[in-house]
Amino acid sequence: MTVQCTTKGTALQAQAHQLQHDLQKIMRRFGRQCRGMGNVFVTLVRQTETQLLEVGHQVLPLARIARERLASAPQLAEAQRKRLDTQLTAALEAHHRIETQSRRLTQGKALTHCKIVNAYDPTIAPICKGKSNCPAQFGRKPGIIAEPASGFIFALHLPMGNPGDASYVVPLVDKVQQAITRVATGPTRAIHSLAGDLALNDTALREALHKRGILTVGIPQTVEPLLPVPTQEDVLQILNGASLNRKRTPYQVHLACACGYSRPVVESIIASLLCRGAAHITYKGHRGAIVQTSMAVMAHNAATLVRIQDNHLSKRAQKLRRLLCLKRYKVNQFNVSKN
Amino acid sequence: MRLLRHLQHWLTGRGSRLQVADFVPATHPIRQWAETFPWAALVAAIERSVAQRFPHPTNRGRPGVSTRVLLALELLKQELSCSDEQSCSRLRTDLAVMYACGIGEIQVDRSQEHFVLPEVLAQFRSRLDDALMEELLAIQAEAAMEAGLVSPAHLVVDTFPSEQGSQRVTDAATLYKAQKKSSGSSRP
Repeated sequence: MTVQCTTKGTALQAQAHQLQHDLQKIMRRFGRQCRGMGNVFVTLVRQTETQLLEVGHQVLPLARIARERLASAPQLAEAQRKRLDTQLTAALEAHHRIETQSRRLTQGKALTHCKIVNAYDPTIAPICKGKSNCPAQFGRKPGIIAEPASGFIFALHLPMGNPGDASYVVPLVDKVQQAITRVATGPTRAIHSLAGDLALNDTALREALHKRGILTVGIPQTVEPLLPVPTQEDVLQILNGASLNRKRTPYQVHLACACGYSRPVVESIIASLLCRGAAHITYKGHRGAIVQTSMAVMAHNAATLVRIQDNHLSKRAQKLRRLLCLKRYKVNQFNVSKN
Repeated sequence: MRLLRHLQHWLTGRGSRLQVADFVPATHPIRQWAETFPWAALVAAIERSVAQRFPHPTNRGRPGVSTRVLLALELLKQELSCSDEQSCSRLRTDLAVMYACGIGEIQVDRSQEHFVLPEVLAQFRSRLDDALMEELLAIQAEAAMEAGLVSPAHLVVDTFPSEQGSQRVTDAATLYKAQKKSSGSSRP
């Protein structure tokens, strides 16, 4: 930007380079102090952060001058000026966010939001999930809603940041309902039950699902395993508890319990997605992450449908599909090209 | 050959015509995988969405690469875990990939290096958005439900972490590596 404003930009450019040099010097010093220690000291981090903030406070006045020079640069075209101004505004916003976070951390105050880990993409968040003794991963947390019998994924939800798992359920259920309404032929379809892990154990969520006629017997309330085969009394209790006596049948409760009991199968679905590139998002931004993960989900779904057609399913999945009256692939059917 | 006309001009070679389906057996994994997609509905949804958001100011110039080919390449990229360059390269050499991309027959042209350039694939990706991806997933789910292969009656919800891009070195990562290194070096 200072190069573009050639008339008065040389001094500003020198100042910006000097500031950059000073900041790099502080970071180099920090690196030297940490070298060979095998440890990162919080005090040292905070001291360095304070120094960086002190030296870095010159960024704002420099940016203000740069903006003034940009407005008065006659050699720039309007579109170019607008583009540079947008870039400067985005950089200043990022600086403001990081500065606020750093000031709170150096003062020992907790953050009001999750930690910013990438200046250029505030939608990325630390994800502490599934690992006990590893550094936090920085990225995204997609949520899926799938059929436990075969592993077919009906919908994907990828929010910004790292919200609680319970907040995923309603958007995912809405997306499945939308897919159901698109189906024109065959019997009327509906969601009967939903299974999940302890993170979904939320009273408000249970009530919201019951209102939609969805059983929540598959969402555990304690760490104890669910009953695979409930007794007659348990079934009545489940139906009465959800106020779904007229909507759901005991047979559906039995199936819901079986699906909830076999919830760990979801790990194999996730493993299949991860090996299709969903573990590492390479596309840029939140939109890119949605595109990549959705493509991985679609590729996984196609592979799942091939498995269903070839009947390459586990015994439990085959049994569940029989109970759900789902079609079995006819082995002798002639497979004509669909292209 | 209608699809070929939508592809780049250099696709129409001068050699003998090859029926792609004759070279890819019905039991081939990529062929089976590709045949599960409701291609017509997916392509129509993409073209409708793109036409709404990026209206064509003119019809001049060479026709673009078919949406069917680009969508299949993008999906194959995930299925085969390969890069843009690799998937585009396989479209030149792999008949199963050609079949998955909906290319029914080809005319061989030895001088041609690529069928689709990786840049075209990146440009196609830049036109996909959240709403469209949601619709594509719904179309796939709809097709599977209509075929009676899956049922939405009993479902399971879960989340999983996915890393974004290259992970920067952080305090936590440095500490973890240092601990791991020290515990590894203390072993006899």
